[in-house]
Amino acid sequence: MGHFVIVGILVIVMTVLTYFGLDAAGLATQMHPVAASAQAAPIDQLWHWEVIVVSFLFSLIVVPMIYSLVVFRQKKGELKDGEHMEGNATLEIAWTVVPLIIVVIFAYLGAYSLGEVRRVDPNAMVINVTGQQFSWTFEYPEYGFISTELYLPIDKQVVLKMQSTDVIHSFWVPEFRVKQDVVPGRVTEYRITPTLEGSYKVRCAELCGTSHAYMENPVVVVSSDAYDAWVAEQIKIAEESKTPEGQGKVLATKYGCVGCHSADGSPLTGPTWFNLYGSEVKLADGSTVTADDAFIAQSILEPNATIVEGFPSPSVMPPYALTDEEIANLIAYIKTLK
Amino acid sequence: MAHSQDKSSALGQGVVIFVYLTVLTIIEYFVAVSFNATSLLIVVAIIKAALVMYYYMHIYKLNEADHGDEHSYAYKTGTNRLGLWLFLLSDGFVFAGLLVMRANLLGLTRPHLNQFLGLAVTAVLLISSFYMNRGETAMKYGDVKGFMRNTIITFVLGLGFLLGVVLVEWRMAAHEGLVASFGNPASGPLGGVFYMMTGMHAFHVFTGLIFLAVVWNNARKGVYTAEQHWGVEAAAVYWHFVDLVWIFFYPALYLIGTAVQ
Amino acid sequence: MKGFFSSALARGLFWQVIGTLVGAGLVTGIRALMGLSATDTFFFTEPAWVLGGFIGALSFLVGSGVTGDWIKWARGIDTPDHHEDHHTGWEKFVNVSLDHKVIGIQYTLVALVLISIGGLFALIFRTELAASELQFLTTDMKLFGQNGPQLYNTLMSLHGMVMIVSILLGIAGIINYVVPLLLGAQDMAFPRLNAFSFWIAVPAAVLLLSSLFLGGFDTGWTGYPPLSARAPVGMQMFFLGVFVAGWSSILGALNVLVTVVRMRAKGMTAMRMPIFVWASIATSLIALTATQFIGLAFQLVMFQRLFGMGFFDPAKGGNPVLFQHLFWFYSHPAVYVFILPGLGVISELLPVFVRKPLYGYRWIAMSSLGIALVGFVVWAHHMFTSGMNEYLRVPFMYSTLLVAVPTGVKFFSWVATLWKGKISTPTPMLFVLGGIVVFLMGGLSGPPNATVSTDLHLHDTYFIVGHFHDTIFGGFVFPFFAAIYYWFPKATGRKMNETLGKIHFWLMTPSFFVLTFGMMYIGLIGMRRRIADYDPALGIDTAHLILTISGFAIALSVLIFFYNFFVSIKNGEKAEGNLWNSRSPEWQVPSPMPVHNYDKPFEVVGEPYDYGLKDAGFVKFIEEPAKGKH
Repeated sequence: MGHFVIVGILVIVMTVLTYFGLDAAGLATQMHPVAASAQAAPIDQLWHWEVIVVSFLFSLIVVPMIYSLVVFRQKKGELKDGEHMEGNATLEIAWTVVPLIIVVIFAYLGAYSLGEVRRVDPNAMVINVTGQQFSWTFEYPEYGFISTELYLPIDKQVVLKMQSTDVIHSFWVPEFRVKQDVVPGRVTEYRITPTLEGSYKVRCAELCGTSHAYMENPVVVVSSDAYDAWVAEQIKIAEESKTPEGQGKVLATKYGCVGCHSADGSPLTGPTWFNLYGSEVKLADGSTVTADDAFIAQSILEPNATIVEGFPSPSVMPPYALTDEEIANLIAYIKTLK
Repeated sequence: MAHSQDKSSALGQGVVIFVYLTVLTIIEYFVAVSFNATSLLIVVAIIKAALVMYYYMHIYKLNEADHGDEHSYAYKTGTNRLGLWLFLLSDGFVFAGLLVMRANLLGLTRPHLNQFLGLAVTAVLLISSFYMNRGETAMKYGDVKGFMRNTIITFVLGLGFLLGVVLVEWRMAAHEGLVASFGNPASGPLGGVFYMMTGMHAFHVFTGLIFLAVVWNNARKGVYTAEQHWGVEAAAVYWHFVDLVWIFFYPALYLIGTAVQ
Repeated sequence: MKGFFSSALARGLFWQVIGTLVGAGLVTGIRALMGLSATDTFFFTEPAWVLGGFIGALSFLVGSGVTGDWIKWARGIDTPDHHEDHHTGWEKFVNVSLDHKVIGIQYTLVALVLISIGGLFALIFRTELAASELQFLTTDMKLFGQNGPQLYNTLMSLHGMVMIVSILLGIAGIINYVVPLLLGAQDMAFPRLNAFSFWIAVPAAVLLLSSLFLGGFDTGWTGYPPLSARAPVGMQMFFLGVFVAGWSSILGALNVLVTVVRMRAKGMTAMRMPIFVWASIATSLIALTATQFIGLAFQLVMFQRLFGMGFFDPAKGGNPVLFQHLFWFYSHPAVYVFILPGLGVISELLPVFVRKPLYGYRWIAMSSLGIALVGFVVWAHHMFTSGMNEYLRVPFMYSTLLVAVPTGVKFFSWVATLWKGKISTPTPMLFVLGGIVVFLMGGLSGPPNATVSTDLHLHDTYFIVGHFHDTIFGGFVFPFFAAIYYWFPKATGRKMNETLGKIHFWLMTPSFFVLTFGMMYIGLIGMRRRIADYDPALGIDTAHLILTISGFAIALSVLIFFYNFFVSIKNGEKAEGNLWNSRSPEWQVPSPMPVHNYDKPFEVVGEPYDYGLKDAGFVKFIEEPAKGKH
């Protein structure tokens, strides 16, 4: 009897220590990083319950183990036998049925939590999201512009309708907690109600190729007023982009070119467009070619036809079947990047 | 079941089972053509499968009591038999996976195929199982010549099935636009599913033919007797398994759902 | 060295090369005749490499001689049941042997080689991960046709699959060596099939590793299309390698199941079988059946690439999520294949070092079957974010949480076994105890992944990586080492060094705790999986450095183990009797184990784990060979 009492007390002590140890590391009451969405609340709460139960179960197993190792030790040189206990039907039934009940309770809590996360606001604003190797673009159908930043007004539910143009990606903002894969051939849905103003990042969370690590875009949560101001500004920019150069810039965003080709010279997956037009381009086979209209058009339609020196062969870039007008607009935009 | 029957009643049983299978296949075809009742087709397939597994593949032998100690031929045959059935169980999962793929990609549609040809190759395979059963029964009663004769018929019919599918069906399907890959984007996954399923099955028919050739040749050399012919039993059970798979693949490809171009 | 060049291994590898060239040459020739391109980046075209790889694997098998008897049977020539092994010393292990003990050791040795290779890959990319920004796997470096990030993806992906194959071979090693001994059988039911199952794993490993040199692949070990449909040629070698390795797993499992049903000693009823046999049954049931699904899934992607069949290509009406269903229908039960034998080792060894019965033996036996069964209906918990039908998420959450019940039965039974025992802790027992604690950590980090809403945050982060490293180390790696330390004397007649064993344990275990806690921690902070570089703003640079150091410490401990292992074969302290005072039959005969196992067969006359009960033997050797039925 004595053993059971001591172990019982030690289990409780260990549970408390484990829980508070995890709490001190900031891991008990919530997940990480800081929660910034309404959906995060039920998720973090479920996590908290799980941490409590896990602290207990960990102690329940480890404490008797260590206790046994200390108290029921075989003395060196001896070969005594332990107490002949084969089993106990009641105990074994108990430790099957009780965990079964706990499991069902957690499954129920989990289903409830999921229900909360997926709660639908019929007035949610729709934003269309496209994931492609290696960037995200956000289209605001209500206003008709495309952005590389996901601006969201605080405390309003938005529903992201997401698709991929190439491989499977996954949309994840850690502060929002929710994650959803983006799959070619179907539209997946992501509902979120941001609750904390700030600048976050959406990073792709499904391995999508060589530059998967760098597939990220800004997510900005602002007050209603700031959001309206931003929308107005974006509409203005879209209006002004009716020129070929402006259209080209929109296309560069829409087709995700900006994910691999920088406008300012910084090295990304593909050659930079900064100072590209008209320059002498050194190719992988040693020859040199002028970056004129024909070269740029071919690079878009048949990326594998020529490989620039220092970039992988075969080309990481898939072909884009753009119209002549789209290509002309892109070239016009590229010309402006000096 | 009746293990200790004499040769002619054993052969007779094979005929009776074949008649049942034929009738069920005819029912299956007419149900498909008239009602398009998926669940009924599945039920009929299961009944056919049960008949083949019990009477042709004699699965009950797994439960037979062992005669002799563990070094005897009879005991080793029992061990081999269990091994063969576990192998078939495993292989069955491949075909189950293909059916899952078909259900997921095609749902209640199916490729537009030549029904007469489908029924014809199915009949050929079924008849080949009939002759396989006759051959194995012959060997069970020591009639090696009878085994060899029936096995040749089985082989020819099996080869006929193989050529019928690969040379005739595939060509016809491709001609009608059912392509595996590019060419007809509208055909979607229909082509891929059709060629994959019939192709995997045809591969197993092909290996079955090799197996039959091997045991036929060994029988010719006098390797097998009435008491010791495990190779024959194995080849026969494998052959029936190949037929068993087709019992499910035939309705899955030809009968269930609505044909789309 | 001459012995090596005439060995089955050398012959097999030679013929694999020839076969690969023949197959590839055939396709190249046909393509040239058809007017298609005959060469590509890595000389042969992709279809040529695929057929070449396949023919190469078959050529290895025929060339090594392992199919010799079967070919004779096909020609009507009978062969003797037993083949006397003429090779001695290390040559035994590079040649075809039908002895399950030799095969078990062969499996174990190849597993250890693959663990080293997979571990080496991990050390390379862990070194890169030690700090944010790319240090040496940069975009300007190029090796084997891949730049730094591409090479990172290949090494990381191969680390996963090479380790998985090493686990499958490792469990085959323990099972093949031990199960016939526990059952009182002379060998497995199908010794030639057993040799075949081992030898096919060698060309499979070669194919898998060849992917590194053929452009690599960037999909992770899971190979999801559409990405895998557009990856380099190395992707096909990966698919082919796994496909071939699958046959080893399937045929090995078949052999185990038949052996257990047909070759048990007299009196060994189901409930008197050693518990490890139950674990082997459960594992083999899964491996026999579910493995076919990964073969099918990979074959479908291979055909999509080779023939344009759009199974998973939405542009052709295909469904990318179908791949995930097919893939995970195997790959989830597969993890139970990985851990059930190890958990069986824990159950088998505890009574020996605690000197009391395995508590609740029947329930533990049933729990292995329970885990295997429930394990078949949880696969979609890997797909909660995949875009599959939403209504599937809750049922799979229920089924996933349910696995905790039979697993819990094992933990509670182990604790009850330890309770009031007389516990000694030589090295095998240390690894058993370490395994229990590490597996507990893995199991307890499971429920947050099982509840869908929390999983939405944790999926594809390092939290998952921490979770499965815990479960795999606890369920396989620690018990694997325990099994080797425990049965090494049975195989060699010598003990491994106890001090080095303790150093191995005490260096590996704390390092491992740090590694996996660290992984779960950074995962929670926001560290995604499968990335070569991470944002310094996450503030996890130091954590990563610590993880890398832990990885190296674990590697060092394994090196110490290797040293101990190989030196002890010749110089270990002699241990020819019942070293551990076990009741198990194999310890009642001298070590090393006689070639034909038991010169006198035994009969089971009691319960396996009746330690502490007077005059309660488990087996009794029969003076005359037994005649009669089972």
